[in-house]
Amino acid sequence: ISEMGRSAKSYCEHTARTQPTLSDIVVTLVEMGFNVETLPAYAKRSQRMVITAPPVTNQPVTPKALTAGQNKPHPSHIPSHFPEFPDPHTYIKTPTYREPVSDYQVLREKAASQRRDVERALTRFMAKTGETQSLFKDDVSTFPLIAARPFTVPYLTALLPSELEMQQMEETDSSEQDDQTDTENLPLHMSTDDSGPEKENTSVLQQNTSLSGSRNGEENMIDNPYLRPVKKPKIRRKK
Amino acid sequence: RMNRKKGDKGFESPRPYNTTHQVVCINNINFQRKSVVGYVELTIFPTVANLNRIKLNSKQCRIYRVRVNDLEAAFIYNDPTLEVCHHESKQRNLNYFSNAYAAAVSAVDPDAGNGELCIKVPSELWKHVDELKVLKVHINFSLDQPKGGLHFVVPNMEGSMAERGAHVFSCGYQNSTRFWFPCVDSYSELCTWKLEYTVDAAMVAVSNGDLVETVYTHDMRKKTFHYMLTIPTAASNISLAIGPFEILVDPYMHEVTHFCLPQLLPLLKHTTSYLHEVFEFYEEILTCRYPYSCFKTVFIDEAYVEVAAYASMSIFSTNLLHSAMIIDETPLTRRCLAQALAQQFFGCFISRMSWSDEWVLKGISGYIYGLWMKKTFGVNEYRHWIKQELDQIVAYELKTGGVLLHPIFGGGKEKDNPASHLHFSIKHPHTLSWEYYTMFQCKAHLVMRLIENRISMEFMLQVFNKLLSLASTASSQKFQSHMWSQMLVSTSGFLKSISNVSGKDIQPLIKQWVDQSGVVKFYGSFAFNRKRNVLELEIKQDYTSPGTQKYVGPLKVTVQELDGSFNHTLQIEENSLKHDIPCHSKSRRNKKKKIPLMNGEEVDMDLSAMDADSPLLWIRIDPDMSVLRKVEFEQSDFMWQYQLRYERDVVAQEEAILALEKFPTPASRLALTDILEQEQCFYRVRMMACFCLAKIANSMVSTWTGPPAMKSLFTRMFCCKTCPNIVKTNNFMNFQSYFLQKTMPVAMALLRDVHNLCPKEVLMFILDLIKYNDNRKNKFSDNYYRAELIDALANSVTPAVSVNNEVRTLDNLNPDVRLILEEITRFLNMEKLLPSYRHTITVSCLKAIRVLQKNGHVPSDPALFKSYAEYGHFIDVRIAALDAVVDYTK
Repeated sequence: ISEMGRSAKSYCEHTARTQPTLSDIVVTLVEMGFNVETLPAYAKRSQRMVITAPPVTNQPVTPKALTAGQNKPHPSHIPSHFPEFPDPHTYIKTPTYREPVSDYQVLREKAASQRRDVERALTRFMAKTGETQSLFKDDVSTFPLIAARPFTVPYLTALLPSELEMQQMEETDSSEQDDQTDTENLPLHMSTDDSGPEKENTSVLQQNTSLSGSRNGEENMIDNPYLRPVKKPKIRRKK
Repeated sequence: RMNRKKGDKGFESPRPYNTTHQVVCINNINFQRKSVVGYVELTIFPTVANLNRIKLNSKQCRIYRVRVNDLEAAFIYNDPTLEVCHHESKQRNLNYFSNAYAAAVSAVDPDAGNGELCIKVPSELWKHVDELKVLKVHINFSLDQPKGGLHFVVPNMEGSMAERGAHVFSCGYQNSTRFWFPCVDSYSELCTWKLEYTVDAAMVAVSNGDLVETVYTHDMRKKTFHYMLTIPTAASNISLAIGPFEILVDPYMHEVTHFCLPQLLPLLKHTTSYLHEVFEFYEEILTCRYPYSCFKTVFIDEAYVEVAAYASMSIFSTNLLHSAMIIDETPLTRRCLAQALAQQFFGCFISRMSWSDEWVLKGISGYIYGLWMKKTFGVNEYRHWIKQELDQIVAYELKTGGVLLHPIFGGGKEKDNPASHLHFSIKHPHTLSWEYYTMFQCKAHLVMRLIENRISMEFMLQVFNKLLSLASTASSQKFQSHMWSQMLVSTSGFLKSISNVSGKDIQPLIKQWVDQSGVVKFYGSFAFNRKRNVLELEIKQDYTSPGTQKYVGPLKVTVQELDGSFNHTLQIEENSLKHDIPCHSKSRRNKKKKIPLMNGEEVDMDLSAMDADSPLLWIRIDPDMSVLRKVEFEQSDFMWQYQLRYERDVVAQEEAILALEKFPTPASRLALTDILEQEQCFYRVRMMACFCLAKIANSMVSTWTGPPAMKSLFTRMFCCKTCPNIVKTNNFMNFQSYFLQKTMPVAMALLRDVHNLCPKEVLMFILDLIKYNDNRKNKFSDNYYRAELIDALANSVTPAVSVNNEVRTLDNLNPDVRLILEEITRFLNMEKLLPSYRHTITVSCLKAIRVLQKNGHVPSDPALFKSYAEYGHFIDVRIAALDAVVDYTK
């Protein structure tokens, strides 16, 4: 039988195909000296052996160890023939909390100590890694002061709110919003908004990207000499 | 005919010419070298035929070339103030210097027709001059590293000048314009102006008048700002600021433009958002529009003064800018804005004839600023401020000698000096001490208020309106109409206007407070004559001590009796000290009756404290502050207590608090505590009560019962209900509470126990406030609050017990001090990571460290302060550090 296969494959490849056809088998049988004519009679003989189909047995279903909800269906972009998602228990997480502390005093105490510890650790770290000053000549480590360093532009740090304060301002600002809308409805109130400058004005106000608004053609109403464009120089007549 | 009449009595220029117009052109500004190059051109009309020399003012400028009507002119430049004493070695004393300096300043005083620069009119023009024809004086000049007048701020960093935020601005004290360009540097020489500044294309030049146009130079790398000022203006009111400013057009008034340094625009928006209300206020009370067609505010670094007003622009310190989170700075900044705007009307638009008329301008601008204060912050704040100003001028005059508002100088001899008690001449603004001038301004506005008391506010405002409308008419005239001098105010003109408008004679008032110096010092005491039912009041005066003067005239006394409050006007005369005042009520007859107060209110009082024989509750001398005086009045402790509790005037309440310091009794304690708890009571009075309570508690230490003063009150007001040792999370929405919350710990820290130590309980209390301070939910910054908690820590420090002057080391550190130092270290270090607004916390830490040093807990070493005093630290920090360094000399 294996010789038949090998030979049939050779015939098939000989004719530049990959799948053997009936004619390839026939040629092989003829080549092997087999009388092909006798085959139909053989197949129709009365005592031929019939092979029955194997009995279908139900596979025993293994019980799922952990079932946690339904398997997720495939999202639309994944073809349905791909394997299903694994059981949810393999990826679902359930965060657990400690019993929340509800006592106000303890909370404040904790918040205060925590902040104090962080500040202390942070400033000590900064002091250890940088230059320090000390109030006691004989001891530089008990009360280490981060050395005073002059600024190039001292007013900026002194006047602008720190990042922490900015953040806080945004958070606490919501209550004030109502008051502000009143002024925003005023007809004159248009140049304080942070809309980008008109193109025409950019030459005058290169420094100043957030100036004044003038939006939606309202700039016609503001006639301020500092918003006017810079003029080109007059061409000087040569004497 | 009107004009003619006015012209007769009008202004006579001390100079033999009039300036009509001046061009200032600065065509090069070098920030690296701090130099300026430019020219000026003055248009001058001679007023005398033989004018052959023109004297102008100029300081520290290098003058290259002078041309008069295009002809080269010879000139001499001599500034005698550069070498005041001419190598004089014999007389090295302050008096000699002071005289020599005054002489030098006189020698160049434009109001005496003098100047540093003397230009010879070319002989070719003499005939022209004789015909009084116009002269054009053209001067080329440059300025290198100016020491005054123009201030350059050039941060030492990488980048172009604009990127570095480099800027320059004019500054100086009184008439200092000569420091940056040649001019007639007098407030009485008015002319129109054309101003041109060529600056880097990334910069903006802000100056006086209208910006006509901005033109690029041919290389397109620079631009020229052209300004025109058509309202006649004195050179001394010309100003300039150049820098890479951010520009904000005022959303309410488009003709108003605000300028600030890069990155500060959000602060500028918030800070100036209020200005239009000040405009509205002044325009309304003066019934006069703002005189200039535009207004500019510029906020710059390293300002010479916080506020400087010039024609149509004001220059402010950038440190006035703040965000919406800052409480304490807001009223201060608004006050600066309002001051600057008041001076636009009186000081810039209306100028003065001579130095001795300065008090009128400062008086009026200070007075209308006071009216703004009253309207904005309320009558309580206004009266508190007036009292504060009064106390200041009184203290200054009693200590240093009188302040003379309207000096008249005869003959120019120093012997005639009306202020010979001072170590400086008051003849020129430039020879004055700064402190004297501050007090001068203070007195000027107080005197204006006295005039208002005399003639009513309505007439007062009419006078101002008249001055403004005359000036306004004059300003729109051509020079040839000779009307411009009506824009100059003089003492006599002002007084005449007052008498015309009000029909009242205020000459005695002027003689008392304007033509002579000094304040009045009253001592008052009384006795109640039961038989006659008369209050025998004795009022003595001290008019022999320096800085005092004798007062003769009316004096109001208010007596609160059981039946009501009664005003009496006494005549203070030379020889009468005693005044009998009949009383209205018999002593305590109707026990149950309510007591009527001055304001019509009727209140129940517990009268058990008072003297059963007398119907007097309290007495006030000069309650309206109608005299510039100090009153020392004696009345019993219970009277002061009644006055504190029931008198509605905040000034009376404050006086009572001061007096109660001398009466440490349980009744005083109760009165103060009650005031402290009263929410309707003015917050400043409550703050003051805190400190008085601390003093009283210390005097009563051996008999004091209960917890330390103010502790339970603070706990009730600001701590959690469930855990009274923990302060509530911050909420500063109620400003009155906020100020009280800030002040109480500072006052509490002054408490002392029997060993003269701050009670441990108080120190732990303050440390807990610091520990539990939580600002996360607050709309406002807590930087001032935290700073005051550090001040409180410093106040708790008492002298260290020193054994044989042992060296201060960590080992012998007091454990309480160790706790305090922990906090200061942490605060000071946190400032490096999260700096607070204006570095208030650093300032308080530095002060506290000095206190620890001074009390011998920490070695007295100035090294730390020296490092914080260096250039490059924020100005407030430097001042605090310098204060500490100076303190070593005390």
